[in-house]
Amino acid sequence: MEINDKDTLTIVEHIKNFARRHSLFVLAYGTGCGAIEIPPTMTSRYDAERFGIVGRATPRQADVLLITGYLSVKTLKRVIRTYEQMQDPKYVIGFGSCTINGGMYWDSYNTIKVLDQYMPVDVYINGCMPRPESVISGFIKLQQLIKAGKADGWKKYQENLDWYRANQKKVIKNWNMPDYNW
Amino acid sequence: METLKTISGYFATIGVAFTVGFLFMGFRRILTARVQNRVGPPIYQNLLDIIKLWSKESAINHGLMQHMGPAFSITASVTTLMFIPVLRDGNWFQNFSFEGDLIFLLYIMVFGQLGMALGAGQTGNPNSAIGVSRGLSQIVGYEIPFVLALTALMVYHETTSLHEIMAAQDSIGGWNIFVNPLAFVAGIIAFLGMTHYTPFDVPFAPAELASGPPSEFGGKYLGMMMTSGSIFAFAKLTLFVNLFLGGASNLLELLVKALALYLIPVIIGIVTPRFRTEQAILFFWKWPTIIGILSILWVVWMR
Amino acid sequence: MDITGIPFFLAVSFGGAFLAYLMNFAHRFLRNAVVLLTVSASAALLFWLGDETFSMEMGGFVLTLGKTPYSLFFAGIVALLAVPTVLFSFTYMAKEERPAMYYLNLLITIAAMYGILFSLDLLSLFIFWEIMTWSSFLLTIHKGGNATKAGVKYFLYSAAGAYAILFSVVILYNMSGSLLIEDVARSFVLQNPLMQLMLAGTLLFGFSVKAGLMPMHGWAPDAYAESPAPFTALFSGALSKMGIFGMGMVLYQIFLQSPFSLPVRELLAWAGGITSALATLRAIQQTDAKRLLAYSSVAQLGYIVMGLALGTPLSMMAALFITLLHGVFKAMLFFAVGAVYFRTGLTDLNELRGLIRRMPVSFLTVLMAIISLANIPPLGGFVGKWLLYESLIQSDHYFLVIVAFFSSTASFLYVYRLIFSIFLGQEEKEFEHVKEVPFLTMQLPMLALAAVTFITGIFPGIVLAPISSALTYLGFPIQHDMWSMSMLFNEWGNRMNLLAMISVIGTVFLTGFTILYFYRMRRTRYVTTKDIHTSGEVPTENENLTYAINFYQPFERAAHPVLSKSIRAWIDWIGRSVSELGDFLRHIYTGDGQTYAWYVVLFLTFMLAAGSWIL
Repeated sequence: MEINDKDTLTIVEHIKNFARRHSLFVLAYGTGCGAIEIPPTMTSRYDAERFGIVGRATPRQADVLLITGYLSVKTLKRVIRTYEQMQDPKYVIGFGSCTINGGMYWDSYNTIKVLDQYMPVDVYINGCMPRPESVISGFIKLQQLIKAGKADGWKKYQENLDWYRANQKKVIKNWNMPDYNW
Repeated sequence: METLKTISGYFATIGVAFTVGFLFMGFRRILTARVQNRVGPPIYQNLLDIIKLWSKESAINHGLMQHMGPAFSITASVTTLMFIPVLRDGNWFQNFSFEGDLIFLLYIMVFGQLGMALGAGQTGNPNSAIGVSRGLSQIVGYEIPFVLALTALMVYHETTSLHEIMAAQDSIGGWNIFVNPLAFVAGIIAFLGMTHYTPFDVPFAPAELASGPPSEFGGKYLGMMMTSGSIFAFAKLTLFVNLFLGGASNLLELLVKALALYLIPVIIGIVTPRFRTEQAILFFWKWPTIIGILSILWVVWMR
Repeated sequence: MDITGIPFFLAVSFGGAFLAYLMNFAHRFLRNAVVLLTVSASAALLFWLGDETFSMEMGGFVLTLGKTPYSLFFAGIVALLAVPTVLFSFTYMAKEERPAMYYLNLLITIAAMYGILFSLDLLSLFIFWEIMTWSSFLLTIHKGGNATKAGVKYFLYSAAGAYAILFSVVILYNMSGSLLIEDVARSFVLQNPLMQLMLAGTLLFGFSVKAGLMPMHGWAPDAYAESPAPFTALFSGALSKMGIFGMGMVLYQIFLQSPFSLPVRELLAWAGGITSALATLRAIQQTDAKRLLAYSSVAQLGYIVMGLALGTPLSMMAALFITLLHGVFKAMLFFAVGAVYFRTGLTDLNELRGLIRRMPVSFLTVLMAIISLANIPPLGGFVGKWLLYESLIQSDHYFLVIVAFFSSTASFLYVYRLIFSIFLGQEEKEFEHVKEVPFLTMQLPMLALAAVTFITGIFPGIVLAPISSALTYLGFPIQHDMWSMSMLFNEWGNRMNLLAMISVIGTVFLTGFTILYFYRMRRTRYVTTKDIHTSGEVPTENENLTYAINFYQPFERAAHPVLSKSIRAWIDWIGRSVSELGDFLRHIYTGDGQTYAWYVVLFLTFMLAAGSWIL
């Protein structure tokens, strides 16, 4: 079941991989200013549905979690819970500079700066904010990563759960999340 | 050998139903996209979605009923399909259609929804419960015109068997859509409710209820439900083709007729907003019911 | 005494009741043994019941007892429900007060039901009818408090019905000089049609009170809600069917030849249809599990009356089949609700929730019962409704089909609410300690009845065989090409193969379930009901995440024009007015001698004035 190894891919794996990268159910967690970039991406002008990208309302059905901007510590807790409620394989796309290095909130007391320390991000889209074109190019990048078998943030999260948890607990003071038994 | 042929016939029927079902749904997505001045996904997009869902590595459940809900759903879809004659004549695709009748189909068609409601109930998600409450209420709405239309046909043809209703419509002039247009109108409005497309999609309202009853279903569970949905869409369309359009003697004819019928809810769905639950119920109890009653009176008068 | 005779049978049934009462003073195990033995002995004796009739003279009247195929079918229902009922009572009633009275009354009720069924004349029928009413009244008020009020209501309705029956029995006796149903039927046809109409009307009124036909259903919700749960199962499952038994007897043994027979039956069919529709709507509104089931019983009895009144062979088969099946699944539901009450002390649907993992067997029982109640294949309820719809369509009652189908579809709403509110939804800490009920005395009766719904769904022939002999006795030509062991046929020759149905449904369901269960089993996690999509929020311990209150608000808004009117409220208003009138009249008795003297003077003045005016 090692999809990283190109030589051992079976026909079933090829089909699975094809389906996975062409059917991306998106859960847009509308933080920050990036949430406003999602509607134009989805609707007539840019039509993300061509690539099999459709929005879903619940984390149980979704494959891709969009973090569309800065995350306050309070929101981070909800995002982590939402991410953990999603089913494997799952991918995270971070929007804009706020998720990369804090952006204009780099010295804010209650936002986190580097999203990658708290949850594995597969694709970053730079810009402040990224336009729909760059959002779509980010999705294409994700598709390429899935095809190459490199979009394995969800595995990293499971393997390095302790490290992520420690980072999360460092910023979230009132930690009352349920424990998981992967 | 005969048994083998029969059994492979069952699987062939399910395969055809599934394929046609997801292609039709893909067609709907493309059509919706074109109306909205978009390109839309490829026509096989629903198949990709289903494969993707089945290939999810993990799943969660809230208990036994969450396994049983989608299982009830697929049971209802496949059983409905098995008891509907797919083609007019010939040995293929008849399956169990001689063993049951319309009253049975009426009840087995709601079996899946009740099962899904039970599965959704155990997840404990309040959105699911609200969706179930709306969905079940809506069933009470659209079943009335549907039964009125079916009763008109059953009384007119003096049979409850789909085969005999099909056999009676031997020429285009004998199709029930022309013989009893009122029944067709009542039936097709009920069909709008059955598809759960707009304007009758309030049980699954994604933005309001987080997709309603299936909101806790993911991975294999959602995959099973979408598989079942594809099969069920085909089964319902075939039923309506058999009832009103005289059935079909080959698969191509069936596809054309079913697509023609399918376009009605799709096109209405693209351009309409959404009814609230009580508005939907009252709508079904008003015009379609009156039309259905008129269709029965028409039949009684014609006899 | 002949061991296969009816006197011995009734002696066992009634004698066991009193023996059990006496045994209560010895030890409760002894009493329970006697109760169980009595009920199962009478159930077993039913198989060996001889054909001979038995007559006895009492005060100048001849009482005649004997069995007919028609009564034997109903006796089978009573026996089928009586054994689980007493079994279920053993643990359930252990907590309650005055168990001796309970068992005495329960056994007398059962015995009186047998008595009604095996009466060949109207007088003994009436006597047993009254015994049944009295003993069931005592059972209804067993809990005291609110139950007393409900019991009195039940008794008043029953008394009205009973006197209507007595009235016509007296007239019929004067007409024919005999009380035997056969003789009465023979002289009945000679009467003038209006007389026939009146007599049949009063008799049907009397019996339909017990069946809870609208508008005579006022007692049912209260009485069912307040009586002890195991008895409610028998009450709704078997006792109310005595009304159906009587109506069938009146319609087809006495009244059939009358010119008014057809219009009356048509009227009755519509009454049944409207009852089932309105009671279903009412059941959707209820928030108490037992009241919900009570209204559901009224609705189901409406179906039975509908089938009974149509009078085609198929519809009669449907009516009797539903009579049995309703008894079975309603007993299951009352048992399960009783089991929940036994463990939690609650029947309020707004308070109960999430018991599925605590009480899985009760859940399974309710699931099977509601599938049967909602007429969904492959369980027994479907067979009954299939027969009913076919007969409605084929006897040209197209609009009754719609009414019946409406209430059948609307019944999904209340059955889902019942199972959802009690067993599904959020699991609360409050119910963490709840355990499943004991196996032998409580789970076993439920599971046994669940097996009955399953078997009758696949092999309805087991039930249709006694039904066809009962119908042949009533004069319906039931041929053997109308049904077979697992096939149903309608009058147009269409068929329903239940074996094919169960094999398809069973195969697909098992395959689907196996795939869902075992596919990626190791990566499938069980999570609690707190771990749900709540927009990322972690729910706290006391957060209310259940949508149970006002569950069908949109539907109630749509059906508001119908739901806002109530016959029971109107009848209650009459009752209140009468009691207020009495309260007012009470003021006449002031207890003051002078006032009384004034009354006398006023009265005399009035008499004088009236007398002089008349003269």
